[in-house]
Amino acid sequence: MRRLATPVLAGARAAILHRPHPTVEALTRQLAAIGLAAEAHWPDLAPSVLAADFVFFDVDRGHDAQFPWKPGEAPMPMVALIGSEAPGRIEWALSMGADAQLLKPVGDGGVYSALLIAHSAFVARRALAAEVEGLRARLAERRTVLRAVLLLAGGQGEEAGYAALRRRAMEWRVTIEEAAARILAARGPARGGRHDRHRPA
Amino acid sequence: MTSVRIGLLLSRSGTYRLLADACRAGALRAIEAVNADPSLPLTLDPVERDPAGEADAYAPLCAELAAEGARHVLGCVTSWSRKEVIPALERTGTVLWYPCPYEGFEASSQVVYAHACPSQHLVPLLAWAVPRFGRRVVLAGSNYIWGWETNRVARDLIEGAGGRVLAERHLPLGDEDVGRLVAEIRATRPDFVLNSLVGASSYAFLRAMAGLRAEDLAVPVLSCNLTECELPALGPAAEGLIAAGPSFGQGLGSFETAAHAAVLSLARRMASAGPEAPLDALLAAPDGGLLAIDPATHHATLPVLIAQVEGGAFRVLERHEAVAPDPYLSRRPSLPAAPHLRAVTP
Repeated sequence: MRRLATPVLAGARAAILHRPHPTVEALTRQLAAIGLAAEAHWPDLAPSVLAADFVFFDVDRGHDAQFPWKPGEAPMPMVALIGSEAPGRIEWALSMGADAQLLKPVGDGGVYSALLIAHSAFVARRALAAEVEGLRARLAERRTVLRAVLLLAGGQGEEAGYAALRRRAMEWRVTIEEAAARILAARGPARGGRHDRHRPA
Repeated sequence: MTSVRIGLLLSRSGTYRLLADACRAGALRAIEAVNADPSLPLTLDPVERDPAGEADAYAPLCAELAAEGARHVLGCVTSWSRKEVIPALERTGTVLWYPCPYEGFEASSQVVYAHACPSQHLVPLLAWAVPRFGRRVVLAGSNYIWGWETNRVARDLIEGAGGRVLAERHLPLGDEDVGRLVAEIRATRPDFVLNSLVGASSYAFLRAMAGLRAEDLAVPVLSCNLTECELPALGPAAEGLIAAGPSFGQGLGSFETAAHAAVLSLARRMASAGPEAPLDALLAAPDGGLLAIDPATHHATLPVLIAQVEGGAFRVLERHEAVAPDPYLSRRPSLPAAPHLRAVTP
């Protein structure tokens, strides 16, 4: 079983994007009991939302333009407040990057588990995104690595070239991709590398 | 003079009967005091139901109390039963005054928590014990939310301080088969044991631990739910036990004291705000400084005492005044970390 890392919630801030409604009051009460300060926003998220640690957003009447970020790029965990369980609305909530959900009417429970699940999902999502970005960057440098390997091989075969490149990377304490880019850069732009991609041949 | 119905939902039999009896004694003593007090413009008229220790009996019996006109109920001992009655409380608009320590992570708008939550029992108890005894710990608990969550928080705190949980065992409510647990303690020789067993399981375990002491293996045993009301059932097996609670040395112990304070506080608040007042108004009304209830969480601010059984009675070892409740442990408590330098032992 994966151990749940509980976030520090005392003094954390929650923004609630919902029109004035008993839902906002019930949510604010539960958040206060847990130790969070809540701020209601409507019809859209005020700039202060960027200081919030969690965002609760209305799915029934919500739309993209209420958010100061692109769909799916919220910089904090997001909890969807779902009233109408219509597939189109769920689809929109997911496109906004809902990490957890809470069904309306909000009663006396549910907020604490939504906070923990949203926090955990957000952390996992962010870690995954960082990993994907790293892999993409390495993929983009494939051609650079190939050129550096051929250059270092000097006619002794691809394996020797790769071993030489790996050695350099270890010596310099950088990634294989970074080492390859340095080697090509040192040879000068005329011999190619990642800096001459747009030069005419 | 207005007569106000008050419900009592406490088990007169079953494995945790002694705890329920203590709560009932405190509530009845408070009702008697209110009814004898000419300065209060109301009397309390108790109506009782006995769930006999069956968790599933609580919700229907709570609804019966509401149907008989009780808008306030004092009762429940286990968290299991409290969680069972909350939907019935919400449906009928009834308020539960809960007089027992519990594991936290709840703040129902229909419940007033008059006894301690973990920031007022487990956290100060471990903070007291770890520097004195060490960080190698065995956790024992009854197999439901109280044991599970108390042990989870304890594990988090102990591991966060660089300590180790050598074993964690949960026994079904009422189970007296403690052989394996005791064998593990004999094998691992922990610095202390945290005992969150309830009722008969706890008594069997403490008797077995007294047996280990006779074998010259003295392991301190700590508890967040042991009070005076169980000492007669334990006899000499209770010697040396260390417990945390809001009060020691008063009558049947802190369950009785909390139930008494809850009922008396309710009556005084009703005298001021009116017997029909909604809970928010009641909690805002004065009660003569008896029970400070946080309006955000409905939890009581309480003293925290650490006490040890000596010669059949608790002796207080440490005392903190007016500790605020933190039912969700949102302030992320921690124990002092393990020292980096250690004595080298062969």
